[in-house]
Amino acid sequence: MEIILYDEGTAQELDIEEIARYLAQKMGKVRVEVRGNPFAFNLSQDKVSDYARKIAGTKIQEVSQKILSGQEPLYGEIEYEKRRILGKTRSFGILYDGFHLLRIFCEIMSREESSLEFVHIFFTNRLFATWDDSNKRYHLRTSVYGIPSIISTTGLVEAPAKPREYYLLKQQYERLGKDLTELKDRFRESIIDYEDKRLTEVTKGYAMQAVFYSLTGAPFCEDKGCRLYNAHWQEELIFAQLWGEYEFCGRHTRILEGLRKK
Amino acid sequence: MKASIEEIAVKEDTTIKALMDELQLSSAPILLEVSGEIFYPDEIENRRLRRGDKVAVIPLIAGG
Repeated sequence: MEIILYDEGTAQELDIEEIARYLAQKMGKVRVEVRGNPFAFNLSQDKVSDYARKIAGTKIQEVSQKILSGQEPLYGEIEYEKRRILGKTRSFGILYDGFHLLRIFCEIMSREESSLEFVHIFFTNRLFATWDDSNKRYHLRTSVYGIPSIISTTGLVEAPAKPREYYLLKQQYERLGKDLTELKDRFRESIIDYEDKRLTEVTKGYAMQAVFYSLTGAPFCEDKGCRLYNAHWQEELIFAQLWGEYEFCGRHTRILEGLRKK
Repeated sequence: MKASIEEIAVKEDTTIKALMDELQLSSAPILLEVSGEIFYPDEIENRRLRRGDKVAVIPLIAGG
């Protein structure tokens, strides 16, 4: 197994080198490589337009409307994605279909490295969602595990729900025209926010979920104290990644110990 | 076999597309491993499979 980490637009938020060191420590003899921008690594400039068009085609216009594969984006959307690919702008306020996005990222990788023996992890600040057929709408996601796996720093902030009290107070703050940063300060301990110093530490657990996806096919654990727990609430995320008494449950600790002995 | 990855032994000559239709996986978010290589089903939908061939179905999994 080899783990390859890509920075698809998170440079200011995440210390990917630190995540690489963490993974190397956890995985023993497994090679961990940091490749930076996946487009710069493996993409000729003449393909930028093609990928920009494809990525723009994954944009969700309406959360209750499933997008079709290969939908034709507008000229301005393509131009925006070109700038995004070339690192000339940052992703903001756009929601992408996570599965469609993953497929485009998959195309960037070389065929030789496209197997479960390689763990490709794209860290991105793009916000994505996946379609839920049971209630016919998109749901925000922190991550999608596949080949490659994608972990969204924006998703870590936006996808897991904040405490119920936060939303109640937010309505009051908005009604009264009060500053929302004061509200965020009140909940600083129980939510992850943008430019949060804890983001790198939190993301280590999600990178391990991607590793376990490749190792076992199952990225998650039922144990709320294990870093592989699939948190749907910010408080669950913080507990699993930062405040738990242990990093991994007994079963997953044993799997990792077994790997390190190999 | 990995936890959520299902390996299918092909029972009779078919194609990837027909197999996906039969398994009702045509619109599912999955990858396929065929002969050690990974594909999206529609990339190789016309590929012929013979009885006894093995195809691993790898689900894409969303978190959060």
